[in-house]
Amino acid sequence: MTISGKIALVTGAGTGIGQGVAIELARRGVKVAVHYNQSDAGALLTKRQIDEAGGEAFIVQANVADKPEIERMVHSTADRFGGIDILVNNAALQLNYGLFEHDEATFDRMMSINLKGYWQCMQAVVPYMKAKQAGRIILISSVHSKRPTDFDTVYAMTKGGIRMLARESAIELAKYGITVNTIEPGAVDVGKQSARDSKPIVTAEDMEKHQRTKYNIRDKFPLGRVGKPLDVANLVSYIASDESEFMTGSSIRLDGGSMHL
Amino acid sequence: MKLHDKVVFVTDADNDSGRAVTKRLAAAGASFILNSGSGGSLLADELHLLRQAGLKTLVVNVDLSKSSETAAMLDYAEEQLGAVDILVFNSSFVHRASVEDCEEVPFVESLRVNAKSAFICTQAVGRQMQQRQSGRIIYISSIHAEKPTGSSFAFSVSKGAVKMLAKEAAIVLGRNGVCVNTIELGPLKGDDEIFQSTFSTLYRDYEYKVPNAVLGTADDLAELVLFLSSDAARYINGSDIRLDGGFLLHYMNFKMKRP
Repeated sequence: MTISGKIALVTGAGTGIGQGVAIELARRGVKVAVHYNQSDAGALLTKRQIDEAGGEAFIVQANVADKPEIERMVHSTADRFGGIDILVNNAALQLNYGLFEHDEATFDRMMSINLKGYWQCMQAVVPYMKAKQAGRIILISSVHSKRPTDFDTVYAMTKGGIRMLARESAIELAKYGITVNTIEPGAVDVGKQSARDSKPIVTAEDMEKHQRTKYNIRDKFPLGRVGKPLDVANLVSYIASDESEFMTGSSIRLDGGSMHL
Repeated sequence: MKLHDKVVFVTDADNDSGRAVTKRLAAAGASFILNSGSGGSLLADELHLLRQAGLKTLVVNVDLSKSSETAAMLDYAEEQLGAVDILVFNSSFVHRASVEDCEEVPFVESLRVNAKSAFICTQAVGRQMQQRQSGRIIYISSIHAEKPTGSSFAFSVSKGAVKMLAKEAAIVLGRNGVCVNTIELGPLKGDDEIFQSTFSTLYRDYEYKVPNAVLGTADDLAELVLFLSSDAARYINGSDIRLDGGFLLHYMNFKMKRP
């Protein structure tokens, strides 16, 4: 795959999927801007792993709910590396609040980060991609852009919005040689995440009940395991490569067959 | 199909779909909470008709993206008419702008009118319906919850969000006897201007892309709303019903039914 030497910005690259994507892109010779917002510990770990593997990375902090900060992040990436070829929109908030637990403030907060943030990160990179008449925008969404969560109403709403953002921007930005595609991961093992302010999806009580029940992994995942950040990273690598040039407006579910059960 | 003693809440009674739905459901004997940005002045004909038929009606003018205002209004309406049986969420705001150039304010406004209000109304009405273990929620959405417009991305993004709201509510409220569905409407006459695009050919010859070459109207929508409101529709939950005469299935231009 032709990808080495390109320049990527990966948002939310201090943890989970974003971290896996940043590391794998760098391993394939991509220069990576590692974005984080709240805590730099994860981003430093991402950069250290990239450095150790002989890759090139730099860390950039920004609140993606804020347009000036997005612009600063994108400009500093382009200044550092000489443009941007690949945007991986990944930074998102998941609070795990149900229909009646959300309020106006949590609604606004999630929409600002997950949906407005994705759009404005795209807006900010377009001039750089336009200049090269080429670009790859990859939206990390979720199986919950189509199938409801039953644990976070607004999270699913943001992902439903991303579904249409991807389709609209794919047909609009095609004239600049920019492709826009979506990956819809199912459950991905992202290790132990810092608690931040999300609620656990399953209460301690339900978890206990669940653990008492006999449970076969294949009842949920036909391939016998949950996803890994590297699964997502491998698909990102393909979409980011030159070989994917005819693919735009696509969304690829990456869930080990889970949604077909 | 009768809706006597049923309280219908229409979130934008002033627009075409709101007026058509109100008239049709009035003929089935419903009572109404009509949210009207014009305070009822654009609804003179409809209000006259409702009065003549002796139907209970409350006209309000509330910002439905504010949960406290919405809840207070529904409490008052409950005292006057009873709790809401049927929510028809038909508020709709189209802002023409590209992904590349759109300003932040109209993007946020599109989300506020189309998606946040839908969410706040669902919570407020959902609480009433949960208590009574019954109800219907119908979101008037658009074919652009699936098909990009090429002209008004903030509109389709917000409709994409509502599509998932409906599915979430269909599960959560479904456990409480409530059915929640969306109607994906389009194209209607004039939509070719509203959604005129410099690069999408979707609305070119749009009337002939409907296989039978006849465009739908707000009255077609009102018939479907009536059906979804009725007891006959009790097993329809979490569905997106495309109401487009087959428009989105179009593929071969040379086979269009032209005069």
